[in-house]
Amino acid sequence: MTAAITANLPVFVVIAPLFVAFVLPTFARRMRLVEGLVIFVEALGLVGAGYLASIVLAQKGIPIIYRLGGWPAPWGIELEVGSLGAFFLLVIAGVSLPVALFARGNLTKEVGSKERVTRFYVLYLLLNGALAGMAVTNDLFNVFVLVEVATLSCCGLVSARNHPRAAEAAFTYLILATLGSTLVLGGIGFLYITTGHLNMGFSSQELGRIWQDNPHVVWVAISFMLVGFGVKSALFPLHLWLPDAHSTAPSPASAILSGLAIKGYLICLLKILYNVFGHTLIQAFAVHRILVLAGMVAIIAGSILALTQDELKRRLAFSTVAQVGYIYLGLGLVNTKGLTGMLFYLASHAVSKSALFLAAGAMIAATGKQSISELAGIGRKMPITMAVFTVGSLSLVGIPLFSGFIGKWYLILGNLEAGNIIPVAVIIIGSVLCAAYLFPIIRTAYFEPVADEDWQDPGLPQKISLILLAVAIVILGVLPGPFLELASRAAAEFLVLQ
Amino acid sequence: MLNLILALSSGVVGGLIVAMMPQANHRLRNLVVLVFSASGMVFSWRVAQMVFAGESVKIAGEFGGLAWSLAPDPLGAVFGLIASTLWLFAAVYSFGYMAQKHKQRTYYTFLLISLSVTLGVAFSGNLVALYLFYELLTFATYPLVIHERSSEAVKAGSKYILYSLSGAGAILIAIVITYRWAGNLDFAGGPILVGCLKPGLSWLLLLFVGGFGVKAAIMPLHRWLPAAMIAPTPVSALLHAVAVVYSGVYGILRVVYSVFGHELMGQLSFASILPWIAAFTILVGVAIATQQDVLKRRLAYHTISQLSYILLGAFTLQPWGLTGAILHMISYSTLKVTLFFCAGIIAEQTGETKVSRMGGVGWSLPKTMAAFGIASLGMIGMLPLNTFWSKYYLMKGSVAGGRWPLALVLIGSGIINALCFIPTVVTAFSGERVRSDTEQGGRVALMLAPTMFLAAISLFIGLWPGIVWSGVQAVVDWFF
Repeated sequence: MTAAITANLPVFVVIAPLFVAFVLPTFARRMRLVEGLVIFVEALGLVGAGYLASIVLAQKGIPIIYRLGGWPAPWGIELEVGSLGAFFLLVIAGVSLPVALFARGNLTKEVGSKERVTRFYVLYLLLNGALAGMAVTNDLFNVFVLVEVATLSCCGLVSARNHPRAAEAAFTYLILATLGSTLVLGGIGFLYITTGHLNMGFSSQELGRIWQDNPHVVWVAISFMLVGFGVKSALFPLHLWLPDAHSTAPSPASAILSGLAIKGYLICLLKILYNVFGHTLIQAFAVHRILVLAGMVAIIAGSILALTQDELKRRLAFSTVAQVGYIYLGLGLVNTKGLTGMLFYLASHAVSKSALFLAAGAMIAATGKQSISELAGIGRKMPITMAVFTVGSLSLVGIPLFSGFIGKWYLILGNLEAGNIIPVAVIIIGSVLCAAYLFPIIRTAYFEPVADEDWQDPGLPQKISLILLAVAIVILGVLPGPFLELASRAAAEFLVLQ
Repeated sequence: MLNLILALSSGVVGGLIVAMMPQANHRLRNLVVLVFSASGMVFSWRVAQMVFAGESVKIAGEFGGLAWSLAPDPLGAVFGLIASTLWLFAAVYSFGYMAQKHKQRTYYTFLLISLSVTLGVAFSGNLVALYLFYELLTFATYPLVIHERSSEAVKAGSKYILYSLSGAGAILIAIVITYRWAGNLDFAGGPILVGCLKPGLSWLLLLFVGGFGVKAAIMPLHRWLPAAMIAPTPVSALLHAVAVVYSGVYGILRVVYSVFGHELMGQLSFASILPWIAAFTILVGVAIATQQDVLKRRLAYHTISQLSYILLGAFTLQPWGLTGAILHMISYSTLKVTLFFCAGIIAEQTGETKVSRMGGVGWSLPKTMAAFGIASLGMIGMLPLNTFWSKYYLMKGSVAGGRWPLALVLIGSGIINALCFIPTVVTAFSGERVRSDTEQGGRVALMLAPTMFLAAISLFIGLWPGIVWSGVQAVVDWFF
């Protein structure tokens, strides 16, 4: 029995949300049931991810491989839950469960009628399934399919609010993201033409043999991938769609888009770069230098752009642009410490940013105010919400005891190992700028005179969800043990290949 | 170990109790503040006793895969003693000073929390713990800096945060580099980087000194300190003359003697420039101080100058220099807090903040100005005050290190100090008694008592320096 569960779990975590997404519209009239089902399937995902992670940890790095339809590679499609897969599955489940909890009974205000809310949940679960698929897939064409599923559901989530600005943002996103998908597809096509394989492992082996004969093809494939995923994960200056999309979406959607969706594309890029091209090619083509440079530019530019925003959610959205820079910077560090830091930072940002967006959403919902300067004294009126916001901010700035610090610590170690000096300085400057755009919010909230209005903390499920995220941030910052272990194993595995 | 935990936690526990108490009950709140400040002091004394007796006091743990430890050595014990003792004085002074001010609950909450965090800095046993508390100190003291809530205060607060965080960033990089090179961050087993001769060592030292130098207000990293004078006077006295700035000084002492060690420092070319940077700050700081008309700003620039006395002693890398540095850490703190306390009383009772308008103040506030006069003499370094001894050993250390011009710098600075303070005292006692202000009443008594008591302590240490000698000697023996 347990053997059967273990063997089928990798596909189950992907199929379960997709399946529920398809049956959900039939219950559209019964809101409680819909919400209950969504939360149930997310909880199931968390249990599954935790179980898979414990197995992967116990197996000391031997991945669990699932062959779809029983066909062995290279003919069939493989799902592989290794350290990286288990790690990302945990991140997905750990963030999407609290977000679903936050959405409970709270969406009709932002989204509208029951039908629209059900549609929102369908898209939410589709996105979840796609992300879980990205975590476990070992097949290039599957990557493309999952990227498309994720992109279209994101697009739907952005437009979920019944508002002209939302429609405009969704349209911009659709155009740019489709451009990105096309580039990704092109890149995959080039790889398939040269190697004849879609399975990442086989493709990588073949590429290792022939890349010296066709360096131009590799160049084109890599640049297509970089630009394609760059658009999707909002790498500066390809981020133009992000601020509108993430600030106009309903708060749970903003949280999941900024927290997880972007991370899914980054995980795909990571897999393609390190599992298909491999670290030898990355270094041979100096891709790592491009990544580090792009990351540094994004950190500085994103932070400065965030500083100029007065609208709360837009400031958080630009902050995502800056934080994605850290992850790109980490992608370019071809050593265990740096990649560990990158993965940990990715997880830390997923949790922290969704906490920030949810807290911001709760504040906006309670007050009806969008801009930071109007939120004076809100810390007194909504203590829990603001406390979670503070925890999230401290984590993003990288204060010890919060998750962001561990990520930054390893990123700095990785940079030193790679002999980079300037990126280290940029990481620190980014932290200071991050403090400069987040702390004024906290100061306004706590230290300015309280407005005489009836602002209150959100309802119980929302409070639980916020507290869960805050606790996750602190646990990741204080006791990251198994989590850090998974990340560092995944990083080590990337460097073993070739 | 229990003493250590109690010393560290009394501030936080007291702060949380104050935060949950009703706003209106001033008496009960003051009692709570008094009890918990006193318990912080008592347990710090116990910890210090144990440390000087050679017992090992240690708590250690891990967060995020990084080991932290709290294990005070004599240097930490001395810093903890200074901070916790002066905290009690500042708390009593606050009862008088803050009596009619707004937002007292926030004020006392963060005052107590800062006590815990400062003691955390003092008792840290490795660089991770030091960094953690150093960073937390910025946030714990921020609400005190912006206490006025005016736009000027908010600006000063932002400046403070940005300066401190930038400094902490430099320290973080330096710590990571140290960790990579040495694989160990503990202070206990001798200097961390001993035998680790790498070409980038001078840069590492620059990062460390630059990072801690922000809070130690080394020029040109000092700009936040005069701005932070917008805070209430007890905060300026305690935090911006002692606790916060000393955490920077303490960090640099740690870097010099626990991270690099005096032997390794002696081989670095950059290390030989450091005493001159300190000398520059000493002279320029006090020179700017003489030009300030607002008394608190004058005291702020004077703080900048005096902190570099301690650094200069540490940078000489001589046992006598370190003796002078530790003695100055003790002596300067009592005197400077006295000066700030006096400035606060003057401002509260007469409304005057500018030196040029203080004519005749001495006749209305004789006790205050007497204390001010005593402290002024101390700043010049005259016998029978405690700073005489510290200056003596600082000079001895400079000469022993073969840098006799530094001794001249110290003498010159003493003369400028005289120009800085003596005219103030003279002005205060010149002219007729035209004012009706007095130092009568319970509120002033609460402010005056700690002020005079501290002035008396300074005199006492000056006359019998033997009472602090064993502590100072323990620190020097520990490092040499």
